[in-house]
Amino acid sequence: MCYYSIIMTEKELITISEAAEILSVSIDTLRRWDKSSKLRPVKTSGAGYRLYSRSQIELFLNDLLNLADDWVHENSKLSPEFYCSNSAVFQTRLARMQDLLAEVKELSLIFPLIVAVAGEIGNNSFDHNLGNWPDTPGVFFGYDIHKKYIVLADRGLGILATLKRVKPELDSDQKALEVAFTEILSGRAPESRGNGLKFVRKIVAENPVGLLFQTGDAKLILTKDSNELDIQKSSKSFRGCLALITF
Amino acid sequence: MKIELKKFGTTLISRQNGREAFAAFQPQLTTLGENENLELDFDGVITFAPSWGDEFLSPLLKLYGPRLTLTNTGNPSVKATLELLEKINQESFKRNQ
Repeated sequence: MCYYSIIMTEKELITISEAAEILSVSIDTLRRWDKSSKLRPVKTSGAGYRLYSRSQIELFLNDLLNLADDWVHENSKLSPEFYCSNSAVFQTRLARMQDLLAEVKELSLIFPLIVAVAGEIGNNSFDHNLGNWPDTPGVFFGYDIHKKYIVLADRGLGILATLKRVKPELDSDQKALEVAFTEILSGRAPESRGNGLKFVRKIVAENPVGLLFQTGDAKLILTKDSNELDIQKSSKSFRGCLALITF
Repeated sequence: MKIELKKFGTTLISRQNGREAFAAFQPQLTTLGENENLELDFDGVITFAPSWGDEFLSPLLKLYGPRLTLTNTGNPSVKATLELLEKINQESFKRNQ
């Protein structure tokens, strides 16, 4: 780290407003990230201005989970690159991801399953929140084929609120998450939807695919051959859903 | 009657798209003979997900039961989706490989 700082030239340093522009976030968000140690400047100028390294910002931009996490918790400004305001935009981008995954040799047998899993999670967001988005509609959808992961997130009602419509007895995010991933609700009145997350569980259990799924204050980790659901209480609660798919 | 599902797209996901496909398919379905079988061919479909499948296949399974046959179901997403739809509907699809 020290060595890196020494060889870094002034040319590679950028101001907070340049960093904010690259990340498509506000300067205030960057100040907040500095205070919370989420993203700290590499140095402070003599006049007290925060300075970042371009490579550090580019690296952070590639950490999609950071960006999605900040969006669901803080409603931070989102880059159009990752934002799907409606389901038509999401379908188009999902089809593009399908084309890219199809070109990866080692994924030739399972890429349709990865696309189907991402499709079910993303479409769930639209199906369950249509007409009921509390603030920003749509989903965060980002992926990195080389690092082999996909991130999806929404600022919707969350699993507990949507499942309560058909199971009013549910009283915690943990219980709701368990039901969403385990119980087949056929002929689910008043709406004939659901069951997508059971499909996701089956795919993950039978294939080299991993899933981290968060909603409210509940967090689920699923991996291949995981017969039991590992549902934990997370320290920070938020309203919508956040999913990380690895492959 | 044989229907090639790829004509509805090669990425068959989302309830909305499944519903639209089912509605678009209705005029064709009225020409199906009383004892005629309905064959759905999955050849060329790349990704098939339960949301689309539940809107399109589940009503056909209820309407036609054993007269509905599915072909070229080897794609892993097709296989996995059909298994889940069978659980939801508590009825099996007839497959011809």
